[in-house]
Amino acid sequence: MRSISLFFRSVAKSLFLVSSLSISIQAYSQSSSDANATAVQSTSGSAIAEPAAATAAAGDAGAGGAIFKQKCTSCHAIDRQVVGPALKGVTERRDNAWLIKWIKNSQALIAAGDPVAVKLFNEYNKAVMTPFPELSDEDINNILAYVDSEANKPAEAAGAAAGTEGAAAGAEKEGVSDWILGGLVVLVLVALFIILVLNRVIKTLERLLLQKQGVEVEEVESESTAIRFRRLAKNKKFVGFAVLLLVIFLGSLGWKTMWNTGIHQGYQPEQPIKYSHQLHAGTLKIDCQYCHFGAYKSKNASIPSLNVCMNCHNYVTASDKYNGETSPEITKIYKALDYDPQSKTYGDDPKPIQWIRIHNLPDLAYFNHSQHVKVAGIKCQECHGPIQTMAEVYQYAPLTMKWCINCHKTRDVNYKGNAYYDKIIAVHNQLKKGAQVTPAVLGGIECGKCHY
Amino acid sequence: MESNKKYWKGLEELKATPEFVENNKGEFAESLPIEELLSEAGLKTPTPRRDFLKAMGFGLGAVTLAACQKAPVHKSIPYLIKPEEVTPGVANYYVSSYKGYGVLVKTREGRPIKLEGNPACILGEGRLDAVAQASILDLYDFSKLKDPMLDGKEVSWNNIDSFVKGELNKIQAGGKKIRIVSSTVNSPSTNKVIADFVAKYPNARHIQVDAVSYTGILKANEASFGKAVLPHYHFDRADVIVSFGADFLGTWISPLEFNRQYVVNRSLASLKNKKMSRHIQFEAGMSLTGTNADVRIALKPSEEGIALLNLYAALGGGGSAPKLSNAKAATALSLVAKELLAAKGRALVVSGSNDIATQSIVNSINTLLGSYGTTIDIVNPSYQYLGNDADFIGLVAEMGRGEVDALFFLDSNPAYSSVASKQFTEGLSKVKLKVSFADRLDETAALCNVVAPVPHYLETWGDANAVAGYYTIVQPTINPVHNTRQAEQSLLLWSDNAIKNYYQYVKNNWETTILTGAGLTWKQLLQTGVVNAGAVTGAPVAGASAPTAVNAGNAGQSILAAAAALAKGGESATELTIYESVAIRDGSFANNAWLQELPDPVSKVTWDNYVALNPKYADKLGVTEFDLVKVEADNYSVVLPVLYQPGQAIGTASIAVGYGRTKAGKAGDEVGKNAYPFLKLENGSLQKAVSVKITPAGGKRELAQTQTHHSYEGRNIIRETTFNKYVQDPHSGSGSHGAEHPTYDLWPEHKQIGHSWVMAIDLNACTGCGACVVACNVENNIPVVGRDEVIRRREMHWIRIDRYYSFQDEKGTSLTEEDQIGELAESDNTLEDVTVVNQPMLCQHCDHAPCETVCPVIATMHSSDGLNHMAYNRCVGTRYCANNCPYKVRRFNWFNYWNDSRFDNYMNNEFTQLVLNPDVTTRSRGVMEKCTMCIQRIQGGKLQAKIEKRPLRDLEIQTACQQTCPTNAIIFGDRFDPNSAVSKALGNERTYYVLQELNVQPGIGYQTKVRNTVEAQA
Repeated sequence: MRSISLFFRSVAKSLFLVSSLSISIQAYSQSSSDANATAVQSTSGSAIAEPAAATAAAGDAGAGGAIFKQKCTSCHAIDRQVVGPALKGVTERRDNAWLIKWIKNSQALIAAGDPVAVKLFNEYNKAVMTPFPELSDEDINNILAYVDSEANKPAEAAGAAAGTEGAAAGAEKEGVSDWILGGLVVLVLVALFIILVLNRVIKTLERLLLQKQGVEVEEVESESTAIRFRRLAKNKKFVGFAVLLLVIFLGSLGWKTMWNTGIHQGYQPEQPIKYSHQLHAGTLKIDCQYCHFGAYKSKNASIPSLNVCMNCHNYVTASDKYNGETSPEITKIYKALDYDPQSKTYGDDPKPIQWIRIHNLPDLAYFNHSQHVKVAGIKCQECHGPIQTMAEVYQYAPLTMKWCINCHKTRDVNYKGNAYYDKIIAVHNQLKKGAQVTPAVLGGIECGKCHY
Repeated sequence: MESNKKYWKGLEELKATPEFVENNKGEFAESLPIEELLSEAGLKTPTPRRDFLKAMGFGLGAVTLAACQKAPVHKSIPYLIKPEEVTPGVANYYVSSYKGYGVLVKTREGRPIKLEGNPACILGEGRLDAVAQASILDLYDFSKLKDPMLDGKEVSWNNIDSFVKGELNKIQAGGKKIRIVSSTVNSPSTNKVIADFVAKYPNARHIQVDAVSYTGILKANEASFGKAVLPHYHFDRADVIVSFGADFLGTWISPLEFNRQYVVNRSLASLKNKKMSRHIQFEAGMSLTGTNADVRIALKPSEEGIALLNLYAALGGGGSAPKLSNAKAATALSLVAKELLAAKGRALVVSGSNDIATQSIVNSINTLLGSYGTTIDIVNPSYQYLGNDADFIGLVAEMGRGEVDALFFLDSNPAYSSVASKQFTEGLSKVKLKVSFADRLDETAALCNVVAPVPHYLETWGDANAVAGYYTIVQPTINPVHNTRQAEQSLLLWSDNAIKNYYQYVKNNWETTILTGAGLTWKQLLQTGVVNAGAVTGAPVAGASAPTAVNAGNAGQSILAAAAALAKGGESATELTIYESVAIRDGSFANNAWLQELPDPVSKVTWDNYVALNPKYADKLGVTEFDLVKVEADNYSVVLPVLYQPGQAIGTASIAVGYGRTKAGKAGDEVGKNAYPFLKLENGSLQKAVSVKITPAGGKRELAQTQTHHSYEGRNIIRETTFNKYVQDPHSGSGSHGAEHPTYDLWPEHKQIGHSWVMAIDLNACTGCGACVVACNVENNIPVVGRDEVIRRREMHWIRIDRYYSFQDEKGTSLTEEDQIGELAESDNTLEDVTVVNQPMLCQHCDHAPCETVCPVIATMHSSDGLNHMAYNRCVGTRYCANNCPYKVRRFNWFNYWNDSRFDNYMNNEFTQLVLNPDVTTRSRGVMEKCTMCIQRIQGGKLQAKIEKRPLRDLEIQTACQQTCPTNAIIFGDRFDPNSAVSKALGNERTYYVLQELNVQPGIGYQTKVRNTVEAQA
């Protein structure tokens, strides 16, 4: 018994040691990575600030940049053709007055018969540039200043530098977390080793002390482990206890496994395109309905067809992150549609994208999105989890019948202001005034409401 | 229970034969092989215990392994570029038309899954019949051709085009004849295409021939009015309807429209106003129309013409007619004449005969009665049938002489359906270019060197002009699935038409003619689907003179000669009538499993045709039911089983056409025997009645009848009254006299909030046409089980139409006392005089449902809105519920019918499965199922109201059966809404609940059948 209590004592000690050590290490590493990150920010900040200062004379490139991003990027980029031409060097190609006229109303210029304008118009398949009469001359000058500043910036180098820097920072961050884990494991092992050694030392010392005091000590060590184990095996209490533990462990394991058969909570398959909800729904705050248009009117929320993607990805190519190349994931969209981004034409060999279904409700259960989203006003996140933070989507809810029923039993029916419910609620109030109106009360947990 | 009238579904039930009683006791049609199992491989084997443990161990292991597998990966494939109007999960509806009936096509994700009537259609007014409902299955028919064929080999369309054009030019140059053979074409655009084709190839001519022909009426009208057309009948304007063998509610001309019209004067509303039409039917075989008649007189076909001559004379038309040998018919005729005269201008006489002389007499009678301009519209005729029998016979002669070098078959299959199929087949071998526009390699296409397969009508453009002034458009709702091309498109290409695209052709044609008159644009037309230019008013009998006594006299002589020929066989011969069955019609839908399994409305036989004989007459012939008999005419004979048909005239037999296809497909091949060759061309038209000899052929073949399955053990199910009694006391016959049936309860009351879904079924409006059965099949993915399984009483229909016979005595009064019936059944009653009541039977959604209390796993339970739910995935298949159901409406899945190689003729392929309704689960083997009151429609309707934040409107939610019912006999709705149609219907005095004495509190109320009998008139 004593050895067991000793063992427990030592384990407790070692745990304390390990945890205190790891906490202190984590705290250190976090503070150091934060410091790194701020350092990176400050350096990149100064890198941007420098060229901006250089071109501030003609216009405010900072203000121009804001307008450019708001109004121009859907059709123009600095160093590559999008819908309209690349703008690099535009201030050298055309004079300032012409540019102002053109930007404010290009069609007027064309109608006036300006040869450059007409030529340009024809060159770009007679695509009409949106007129911007609301821009002042100053605004336009700011935009042009921004264009110049972006073009004159040692673009490749700066971009590449920023990119590598960012990547390095990212790698560093990731490295730190990996190091923490590895370090922890090593630390735990070292601590365990130290504990063992110390234990030995303590035991030897104790024995020496006792010997000095003249107490004869039994040679416990001389007993081999096998004999000790055999003795332990004969101890009925211990065996009973061990068997009980084993039964409880196996039983609960089996129970859990069986109970969760067919439940795929956390299911996170790899999708053919690494579409990030974190970016689109989280950072860019695109409304769920924009792509999942069916959720408000159909039983299917629907996976958007590729023409929805193309509404933006016609010009959003994320090339700034890929050295001017189109993002490989976006290229997959083009490929599926057989779309040539250079000539902006669609080929005749499109191939649909085969997404992997994550939320697999069995066929025997009827679920309708519009009932829940539109009528009941439930937020998407309540069933799909923090979708705006998911870089890769996983199944958040268990999607079991118990999960459905629990919600139907506890939630309030969203009947206020919905004339459909008026009569029903009136009857309900007659019967049980003041009682909670849950879907279950209105028959929402009857078999046939979902199984038919 | 004020009526003791006894109803019976079949003779075996009436006579309570020992087999019937024994069968009814058992749960299964055949005894289960339990004893065998136990005695052979079961308990007596040496190691049953170890085998058992092995099996258990294996089972446990297998289940464990199966449970361990990872979730199957499901792909989700969205549209590449989604059509703007498509939202996955939401149905779109498109207008189109089927044989001139406007339809709405329900499509889900681009595939049509259900047809409903277009409410703007003047013929169907939003309703469809069984055949139209089932036509969607043909779109997904696996037996169809996938590519064009030249000399039996699959080739490209280019090959076909160059071959056909080359041949046509050669033939045109050679001066030989080119013929286009089609069934009736009333499509303005198709007719124009054919006219263009004929203009390009002047040797060509268009010949229309219908498998089931109406040449008699066409020719008679040509003689009487100078127009070879069918008149447009208006049964809703008639107070007295007399029909001589015309099955106008089943198959005659436009049954959907006639059903709708017929019930106008027999509906709830009409009876409330104390008005009911009277319908007298004279016929040989028991038809669907005969079952609905107030008075039905069995009459031999040879006497039908004579009866008409007698009626003509009695109405004051003059002429002399021999006395009818059938005394009962003679007295009935004199009474009928009086009634008709009293109802001049509101009377209608029709005849199902295809004899020109007979139809001339009918025309004369209707002229005497002033029917033209009132109940018959000849100014705005119907173009539903235009075929001329003589034209086709002429063509066969031309072919035999080798004068024809090119033949085109458009929607026509003469090798199967022609009376002269033998001469036709011989003649065909002399034709150089034989082109079939069939969708499958049917009997004719198999003999052609070019098969240019056509798509289903839901894949094509087209139009129809069923009735003068009424046009409907056919628009595609799916791209052609196979490599097919419309016949019109082919003809345009082959005739080098300036417009090469048939869509453009139809559009141009409509924009230049019909649309300008109607003031519509093409886009508007594609939304409304129909254009009704309205009826032209004119002189009731335009142009030609009214039929005179002289030509009536001539007709009389012709009729008498024909009657004498038909009856000349005397006692030894049988008069055979050839008729169309309600489901299979002319046989072009033979490969439609839904229609094959739709029980015949009268005989309740599926998957077969048969010789219908009166039981007494069968005794005389020395045959019993299901005996195989040989039916022999001059040059054709078939062997078919006998069916006892109460109501069949003594000395007559009936056989349905449309069966005996050999190249229809997996479902339709070798089902029954072909009866077309019995038809006889005489006096310019095909005669449907012939004299035959019936002899026993030895052997038996059991027919797959759905009755007498599901017995009620003689309980009082049907309530019936006569119009006279109803007028005196609206409660009469309902057994209730307005008093509520006492109810009592073992359980605490279950308070319903929200809705209470109930149904009302008017037995007087239900004609038994079977449209609801097919609509339910389509909507609820109900499997087809096939002939053998039907014999085992395993049909799966959620709604069935029970047909009950009862007796009339000689005076035409119904017998009400059981001992009287017994006497009649035993004595020498001819079993000719039976009356029929049709009762749609489906789950009654009882408030005290007996099925719910016996389910050991609570798989069936009651909902708060009055429905009896069935959770398939909870069901373990004990079938206790089915045993405890007093209405016998629960169905058990013995197989995975939709995915099992034993049911190959139905849905065992992925293509046909596309017709399944995605909102309804397909049930798996071993579970019980039954009517859900179309819960998917209820839930969908409620959701729509919730989304639009408004209360539910009455009749917004319609069950599939209600939606299609041509006579509006079924009304579904919310009992809690006092203004709903169903509340009003259930508040009617005629309402009764079937077996309400059991206190099951059924949710479906029936309205009593009312019969406008002679005694009511007296």
